[in-house]
Amino acid sequence: MTAVLAGRAPRRRNNLTLVIHQVKYEQLSFWRNPQSAIFTFVFPVVFVAIMGALFGGLGKSSYFGGLTALQYYVPTIAALCVLGSCYGQLAVGLATRRQNGILKRIRATPLPAWGYFAGLLANCILVSLADIALIVGVGRLYGVPFPSQWPAIALTLVLGAASFCALGVAVASMIANAEAAPAVTQLVLFPLLFLSGTYLPISSQLLNRVTGWLPIRPFNEALTGPLSRHIGADWRHLAVLAAWGVIGATVALRRFRWDPRPE
Amino acid sequence: MHPELTGGPPPAAAAPSGAAAAGGAARRESPQAITVAGLRKNYGAVRAVRDVSFSVGHGEIVALLGPNGAGKTTTLEILEGFRTRDGGEVQVLGLDPGGKSAARELRERTGLVLQDIAVEPYLTVRETITRQAGYYRAPRDVPAVISLTGLDGLERRKVRVLSGGQKRRLDLALGLIGGPELLYLDEPTTGFDPAARRGAWDLVRQLRTAGTTILLTTHDMAEAQALADRVVLLSDGTVVAEGPPAGLGGRGAEHARITFGLPAGVALADLPVPGTRKDGSVVIETAQPTADLHRLSSWAVQHDVTLSGLTVDRRSLEDVYLRLTRDATPPIAPDRSPR
Repeated sequence: MTAVLAGRAPRRRNNLTLVIHQVKYEQLSFWRNPQSAIFTFVFPVVFVAIMGALFGGLGKSSYFGGLTALQYYVPTIAALCVLGSCYGQLAVGLATRRQNGILKRIRATPLPAWGYFAGLLANCILVSLADIALIVGVGRLYGVPFPSQWPAIALTLVLGAASFCALGVAVASMIANAEAAPAVTQLVLFPLLFLSGTYLPISSQLLNRVTGWLPIRPFNEALTGPLSRHIGADWRHLAVLAAWGVIGATVALRRFRWDPRPE
Repeated sequence: MHPELTGGPPPAAAAPSGAAAAGGAARRESPQAITVAGLRKNYGAVRAVRDVSFSVGHGEIVALLGPNGAGKTTTLEILEGFRTRDGGEVQVLGLDPGGKSAARELRERTGLVLQDIAVEPYLTVRETITRQAGYYRAPRDVPAVISLTGLDGLERRKVRVLSGGQKRRLDLALGLIGGPELLYLDEPTTGFDPAARRGAWDLVRQLRTAGTTILLTTHDMAEAQALADRVVLLSDGTVVAEGPPAGLGGRGAEHARITFGLPAGVALADLPVPGTRKDGSVVIETAQPTADLHRLSSWAVQHDVTLSGLTVDRRSLEDVYLRLTRDATPPIAPDRSPR
């Protein structure tokens, strides 16, 4: 009986193994949670499919900025996937985990903080990539040609995912009460999605200029180039996105707490 | 008992892999597993911990007792490295838990069970424990810890459908999986049924036998009495008593109490030992309970009378606890944890 109380021989672990270990359990948690799996993952695919059914037969139009409806929606909804699986998931998930003590418990183990966050980031990117692959696939069914600018797409996705993860952690750091987290997160996100042209093209020059300096519209634009217009990386919009990522990361680093009761 | 279980890292750990060697060295250098001297901690104007000093030897089980707001959890959290201190000296396994470099090493060598049940709802029991095991240099065997904590048969159950008691046992499993030298248990058996509580006590004793040092907090006097080698009683941020549970607050030196109902037709003065009447019973306070009980029972047999409800006892740990903490002002402090 007591033999099992003995420790095992120490082993060496490398950082990659540790991150893979983290990602594995983050993935299990994500896919088994019906709310995250359906709301975050399935909803964007359904939305693109509906838009395809509604507008799939129409050709290019000036309303959609010279693109077909699906050429417009594939990138904006791809951006929505990243927002949901990075920003939304982290803002709500981390606030909840902090409140019920899961973060404190993790903090008490030898797992370094960077390892925990690397696992979260990798999980968010994996979920986004799977979702975007489905959306591009649905777009193809409705006549959107496969994109060709893969390096630009990869760069934009990784930068977008990292920036929105940073913003998600920043928002989670500022929410004290986990019950309020979904409301606060959506309150910020939902109007901004509309104003940034995610669901409908916006014709107001003033609005477009304002939202052009906020995080979502630059990401939409930066994805539309390589995904639908077959042009390379959109450096100006990527720079705005990266600036938001830096702001998010700064707030997150200064404000993030593991403990539900700050001193 | 296997000799390799009586303490210290397993033989393989003696290999000069830096941290394990440092662990062994710290153990040799520090005669105590925990030393706390003159600890102070304020939350704003509230002095949660005023002056706390105590120590815990290697392989010892020490219980921190005290009313809510006495400073138990704050003290524990400073030792665990979750909170900074405002004054005093603290050493855990020879390291300062307030120091950044020591924190990681201490997390490797200590385990903790917190009051809050904090587990991911959508993982299974086995996944939860396996994930935690992946964080440690030399974790214990996962199936072994599952059966030690009585979670057999629940391995594939999702955490969200476990009962409160089962979740607490999972929490305990997470505290053990790293093979800690030192284990903090914050009210470990709250919410356990009596059988589960006994099981947890047996486990704690086994851990001690295997060389684990344990610092626990509890509100349950029976638990302190059953488990602790020593009790540290806190009240209002200071230590008001310390010692083995049997002798706490002078309990061991106090007189024993013999209590029984006065038989019909017998006067107090007829008894062979002087006593007093209290609540309809006779109470005899004595320094020689064995001899006095013998005289009393011989007398009763000779006179053919029955001493109804005859008991011999001492003041309980709870009596001592209540006496020593009675004057403590109730806290207004933000010291308490939200449950």
